[in-house]
Amino acid sequence: MGELTNIAIAGVGGQGIILASDVLAQAAICAGYDVKKNEVHGMAQRGGAVVSEVRFGRRVRSPLIPDGEVDVLLALEMLEGLRHLHRLRPEGVVIADELRIRPAVRPPGAPGYPEDVTDQLRSLGHRAVLIPAAELARGAGNARAANTVLIGALSRHLELPEEAWQRSLRMCLRPSLLEVNVRAFGLGMQTQDI
Amino acid sequence: MTIPAPSATCVLLSGDEAIARGAFEAGVLVAASYPGTPATEVLEALVQYPEIEAEWSPNEKVALEVALGASLAGARALVSMKHVGLNVASDPLVTASYVGVRGGLVVVSADDPGMFSSQNEQDNRHYARLAKIPMLEPCDSQEAKEFTRSAFEISERFDTPVLLRITTRLAHSKSIVDLGERRERTPTGFVRDVAKTVMVPGHARRRHELVEARMNALAEWAESCSLNRIEEGDRGIGVICSGIAYEYVKEVQPKASILKLGLTHPLPSGLIREFAEGVDRLQVIEELDPYLEEQIRALGVRLSHERVSPRLGELSPTSVARLLETGKSAPRAPLPDLPPRPPVLCPGCGHRALLTVLKQLKVFVSGDIGCYTLGVQPPLETMDTCVCMGASLGVAFGVEKATGRSDNIVAVVGDSTFLHSGIAPLMDIVYNRGATTVIILDNETVAMTGHQDHPGTGRTAAGESTHRLPLDELVRAIGVRHVAVVDPYDMKQSKELIQAGLRRSEPTVIIARRRCVLLDREARRRARRIDVERCTGCGQCLTHGCPAIFDKTPEGERKKQVEIIAQLCVGCNVCGQLCPVGAIVEEPDSG
Repeated sequence: MGELTNIAIAGVGGQGIILASDVLAQAAICAGYDVKKNEVHGMAQRGGAVVSEVRFGRRVRSPLIPDGEVDVLLALEMLEGLRHLHRLRPEGVVIADELRIRPAVRPPGAPGYPEDVTDQLRSLGHRAVLIPAAELARGAGNARAANTVLIGALSRHLELPEEAWQRSLRMCLRPSLLEVNVRAFGLGMQTQDI
Repeated sequence: MTIPAPSATCVLLSGDEAIARGAFEAGVLVAASYPGTPATEVLEALVQYPEIEAEWSPNEKVALEVALGASLAGARALVSMKHVGLNVASDPLVTASYVGVRGGLVVVSADDPGMFSSQNEQDNRHYARLAKIPMLEPCDSQEAKEFTRSAFEISERFDTPVLLRITTRLAHSKSIVDLGERRERTPTGFVRDVAKTVMVPGHARRRHELVEARMNALAEWAESCSLNRIEEGDRGIGVICSGIAYEYVKEVQPKASILKLGLTHPLPSGLIREFAEGVDRLQVIEELDPYLEEQIRALGVRLSHERVSPRLGELSPTSVARLLETGKSAPRAPLPDLPPRPPVLCPGCGHRALLTVLKQLKVFVSGDIGCYTLGVQPPLETMDTCVCMGASLGVAFGVEKATGRSDNIVAVVGDSTFLHSGIAPLMDIVYNRGATTVIILDNETVAMTGHQDHPGTGRTAAGESTHRLPLDELVRAIGVRHVAVVDPYDMKQSKELIQAGLRRSEPTVIIARRRCVLLDREARRRARRIDVERCTGCGQCLTHGCPAIFDKTPEGERKKQVEIIAQLCVGCNVCGQLCPVGAIVEEPDSG
């Protein structure tokens, strides 16, 4: 990775993308980095495609990641991973939940959900890590913590100290949800790359 | 490895939150706004400070007037809105420029280049020139906070409202902000000075002279104020920029010489000339309109490019690299043939039920601004116009006047949108003997922007209980004699009421009341399922676009195969009312 670390988190509105990017951004702050992130609010959210980007390093300028400079693409849904795949660096990694959510509406003439979505995630030659995040989250006590499982998996690819992650989780999550999410994060951290 | 505890005074804030923080530190006493992406979070953050009187106003015009009144009473006041909101508030804005201030008055305009959640992408920098007021454009959250504080000082020093112009990427990006202390200020109270505050022609002519003198003084001050600065770098290339564009330029061309403009109205002509003379090649990088470019060319300064401002959409570091010809290789193209994923109405949304009835009735739907605008998409396709807040009623009445028919058109407007600017056109319909059928989709909240309160919810921005404006009594008082309230889940009754309204030669108002499904989790009923024995595969249940109904028909098969996703279904039974054979039934009780 270069001077800056660039993470894009993509998914479907309602999946907890903003929370995931908050946890990552806060962990980077706890580790002493400058951080910028962007997110999508309003009309763009209602079950639509959503992306949030987090950048950290010594000094961050643009809150948007230039195309082709994403280090890790975290996809909470596989099709949404494909939508941003071209923005990865050649040596970048895509970490995706093995989840398919079909778009709720299919405008006339629009293509259907790509059946070969897992092959396509590898089609540009990037390393692809597929994780049954929702399943693991259910094991942690709440299927909705899939976002935190993926953040746990992401943590293995970043050089942020474990303590920064733990502190960030405590800062970003309501006490009633903390325990489940700490477990979900741990399960994500234990996943393998293949 | 141990890491130091993050400083309690350094926090990650969005641009909106940082503006609120700056207002707090500047001692603001009164704040007002109407919800609108990307400005909503300014007031949502302000309301967290108990020292500040923060309100949701019925619309942006009222918000600005409340803030102006507070300013004239000597308090510092802030008003925030999305770009199109400033159109609504433009009447008081332009004359407030003549009146000036007592306590500082800052107007936040959050523009939406790229139209993430808007009906147009107008460039509100033009308002600063139109209203003849100074304008500040911050580049990140720290500056958003600092510029807010500066804006109050400028406002008081030059006796003028100040426009603080931001864009979606500033409003909704988060960066680290160093927090400061609040400085309390005691308002002086209202001091009578009619030559300043009563804008009759005789007074306004004198005030206009003062406005022109003020802008001259500001232009002189702009040359040396710390809001504008030259960052010397490679003399081969000089870039003039402001706001978020500055960060993109620093990202992709860190060595360039830069004239960073924080005060973008009035422009520092001397500083611009000085900068231009010191560089070989001069470029302007700005989002939307060539606002800076045209004024800089008008100074006689030569730019090294023909028009480069893209005018359309938002900038990004990728597009700025292209505009600056940094020689970076072109980025990869997105993967082809990916299905789009537009936003949709939620499962169980009352709007969907009512729009489905309108689809069945095949009427012309004059639409408005809100979640229900999503009804324009297939498969509902029940929206024929959408222009601006409250336009649905007037447009429907205009169609009625031109065609002489009121039996094939309805106006559809949300509760908050109606209160924002639908009351006056309803008066027009009654006063001018119209026969329009108006449907108020009352979900008891401002849903699209994240559930804010309004005069019809009975709660203030701070969550305090207040008078709840009864919509039915309001429309009766306007003179509408045929008023009905219906639960949109009851499609049969909705249909009968709409048909009666269409037949009538008098105005009808139907209030379709169903609390936003995201707020009303207790109202959830048992999920539905398909009884495959009875299902004939007609596909009627797919005609209203519910995300909980999944079409699993194999390619080429004519008979539809559908499944209801139990986790998403809230049991509204709109699909059950569409099914001609009763094949949609309740899930058995899982205990």
